[in-house]
Amino acid sequence: MRYIWTLAQKDLRLLFRNKAALFFTFGWPLVIAVLFGAIFSSPDEHSPRIAIAVVDEDQTSGSREFTAQLGEGKDFNVLAAGRDAAITLVRQGERAAALILKKGFGEAGQRLFYGDPPKVELWSDPTRAAEAGMIQGLVFKMAAERFNRVFSDPGAMRGQVRQGLESLKSAPDVQDANRVPLTRFLNELDAFLAVPQPGQGGGGGRPQWQPIEIEEHAVARPPYAGPRNGYQVTFPQGILWGIISCVMTFSISFVTERTHGTLMRLQASPITRFQLLAGKSLACVLAILIVVTCLIVLARLGFRVTPQSFPLFLLAVFSTMIAFVGMMMLLASLGKTEAAAAGTGWAIMLPLSMLGGGMVPLFIMPGWLAKVGYLSPVRWGILALEGSIWRRFSLSEMAVPCGILVAVGVACFIAGVRWIRLDK
Amino acid sequence: MLANSGLVRVPAVETHLMLELESVRKTYGACLAVDALNLQIRQGEIFGLLGPNGAGKTTTIHLIAGLLQPDGGAIRIGGSGSPSDPAIRLRLGIAPQMLSHYEFLSARENLGFFGRLYGLRGRRLSERVFDALAFVGLENQKGQAVRTFSGGMKRRLNLAIAIVHDPEIILLDEPTAGVDPQSRNAIYENILALKRQGRTLIYTTHYMEEAQRLCDRVGILDHGRLLALDTVAGLIQTHAGAATLIVSRGDQEIRMCTPEPLAVLNELAREAPVDRFRLEQATLEQVFLQLTGRTLRD
Repeated sequence: MRYIWTLAQKDLRLLFRNKAALFFTFGWPLVIAVLFGAIFSSPDEHSPRIAIAVVDEDQTSGSREFTAQLGEGKDFNVLAAGRDAAITLVRQGERAAALILKKGFGEAGQRLFYGDPPKVELWSDPTRAAEAGMIQGLVFKMAAERFNRVFSDPGAMRGQVRQGLESLKSAPDVQDANRVPLTRFLNELDAFLAVPQPGQGGGGGRPQWQPIEIEEHAVARPPYAGPRNGYQVTFPQGILWGIISCVMTFSISFVTERTHGTLMRLQASPITRFQLLAGKSLACVLAILIVVTCLIVLARLGFRVTPQSFPLFLLAVFSTMIAFVGMMMLLASLGKTEAAAAGTGWAIMLPLSMLGGGMVPLFIMPGWLAKVGYLSPVRWGILALEGSIWRRFSLSEMAVPCGILVAVGVACFIAGVRWIRLDK
Repeated sequence: MLANSGLVRVPAVETHLMLELESVRKTYGACLAVDALNLQIRQGEIFGLLGPNGAGKTTTIHLIAGLLQPDGGAIRIGGSGSPSDPAIRLRLGIAPQMLSHYEFLSARENLGFFGRLYGLRGRRLSERVFDALAFVGLENQKGQAVRTFSGGMKRRLNLAIAIVHDPEIILLDEPTAGVDPQSRNAIYENILALKRQGRTLIYTTHYMEEAQRLCDRVGILDHGRLLALDTVAGLIQTHAGAATLIVSRGDQEIRMCTPEPLAVLNELAREAPVDRFRLEQATLEQVFLQLTGRTLRD
C-alpha cells in the first residue's frame, strides 16, 4: 500500500504544480457553478410577478375586466384556467395560487353600498403562506383601486349626486316605482359622502365596507421538490466538471508518463502493474475528493446549497467517482500521445457532458434530447448529486443512478486495465 | 572474436558472473530485434554495447531491466534471478536514453520519489538522495524544479535517479547523448567512480571514443546479432589489423603494417639511417565500420 500511496502523492504534487491543470480542475468548475448559478438564479429569485391561475366562473364583463386588470398589472403572471386545472397547478407547484371569481362577481361589483361584495376564492399552498398573503393584499388593492377611482373626489361626487336628485324630482316622466328607490339610493349616497374620511376629524368615519370578499382555501400538495435556487442546479454541474477535469488530467498524465519515459522507470522499479495502476487511480480519487469537498464547502458557505442528506450525498459522490475513475483508465488506454489522448478524451467527454446536462440543465432540453442523455454517465452523476441536494431522493431512488454509475465505472476500469499499454 | 550466425565465442569468464544472457531472442511483429544473444558480464566491469541505429542495443537494455520479456532464451542476474522478480529489480538501476524524470518536481523530489519506490525510507532515503545529488554535482540545485535545468544537468539527474537506491548493476543507455563536453566529461568521471565502487555497468553509446576510454569489454551488435565481443585492444587487433609503422628517409616514406613495430623499426635503422617515424594505431571506429559496414541506417 505504501508504494500506491507514494505514486498517488507524486501525482497530486504534480497536479498542484501545474497551474493550467489546477485551473481546469478547481477554477473552471467554480466558474460553471457560480456564473451559471447567477444566470439561472436571477429570473427565478427576483421575478416581480407572482404566477397565479385565474378561474372566471362569472363570465361577465365585470369579471373579465377584473381578470384583464390582474394580467395587465406588474404584480401577477396570470394564467386563465378551469377550476380543477387551476387547483392542480397549485398542487403541482406550478402556480402560487388559484384565484376563482365566483358567480355574481360582476353584478356585485356594480353594487356600491348594499348587498354582498364581489366574492373570490383563493386556493393556495399553506406552506407558501407569505405568497398567499401577498396575493390577498394585491387582489384587495386592485379591487379597491376601482372604487378609489370613483371616489377619488367626494366633493364633486356629492355635487353630482345632488344634481341627480334635483333632476329626478323635476323629471315628469319618471314613474314613482322608479323614482322612490332611486331617490332613496341617491340620498344614501349623499349621506355616505357627507361623512368625513378618517383623519379628517369628526368621529368614526364611513360605515365598515369592503370592496371584495376573499374566501381562502388550502391546497394540500406534496413537499416542494424543485431546486430552491439556481446554484442547487449549477453546483452539481460544477462538481461534475471538476470530476471530468480530474479524469482528463490523470488520463493525459498517464500518457505523458508513457511518452516521457517515466513510466518505463516505474516499470523498472520493484512495483507491480497492479500497484502502478492503483497508484494512478488513487491519485484521481483523492483529487476528485478534494475538488468535491472544496466545491460543496463553498456552495454551503457562499450560496446556501446544502445537501438534504449527507449520507446520500456521499453515496452520490462515491458512485460518480467510481464511474469516472473507470473512465479515466479507459481514456488513458486510448491515446498514444498527449495530443491524441487530450483530443480523444475531450471528444468523448464534451458530448457526454452536453447530453448529460453538464452544460445546459436537462429540464431546459427538448424531451427527445433529454432522453438521449440517459446514455451519458454525466446525467446519472448529476441526477445522483441532485437527488441528495434538492430532489429529496430516497435510498431506493438513489439506487438507480448510483447503480448505473458503479456499473459504468467497473466496466470502463476493466476495459482500461486490459487495454492500457505501459510500454511506449 | 568472430561472429558466426549470431553466435559468438565468448572469452572465458574467470571472475564472478553478475549477468548472463543465454540465447536471448526478441521480436516486434516480423522484426527480429535481438537474435540468439549470448553475453556474460562480470562483476565490476564496464561492458559496452555498440551498434548502429536499430541494432538492438536499447532492446537488450530493456530485456535486462525486465521491461521486456524475451521470446526465447534466459536472462540470469546474480547467478539465477530473473529481472521480472521485484527482488532482483532492487539490484538494477537504469538511466534510459530518454530523459526520464518529472519536470514539475525538484531534483530532490524526483530522487526521493524513485528512492521510495525502491523501498528506501527515512534517514536512509535522505542519505541516498544527498549522496546521489552530490555524486552528479547537483547538490546546489536540489530544490529547483527540473524544468529549469540545462540538458547536461538533466542528463546528470537521469544518472542520479539510476543510482539513488545503490544498485549493483547499472544500465546506461546512451548516457551522454546531447550534452556539452563539460557535462560529458563529468559523466565519464561518474562512471569510472562507479566502477571503482565495484558496480557493474552496461553501457550503450554511439561514441566510439567513449567506449574506447571507458569500457573493459565491448560487444558490437547489428541487426540484433552480436558480431564481436572482446576488449577494445583485442577487437582492434582482430578486426583492424596491426599498427602501421611509417618511416621517412629523405624524400622516401615507408608504410608497414606490423604487430611488432619496434622490432621492424630496429631492423630498418640497422639498414640505413631513419629521419623520422610514426606509428598509426587502428581505432575502434574502424573496427565498427568494418564490422557493420558503411551503409546509412535509419
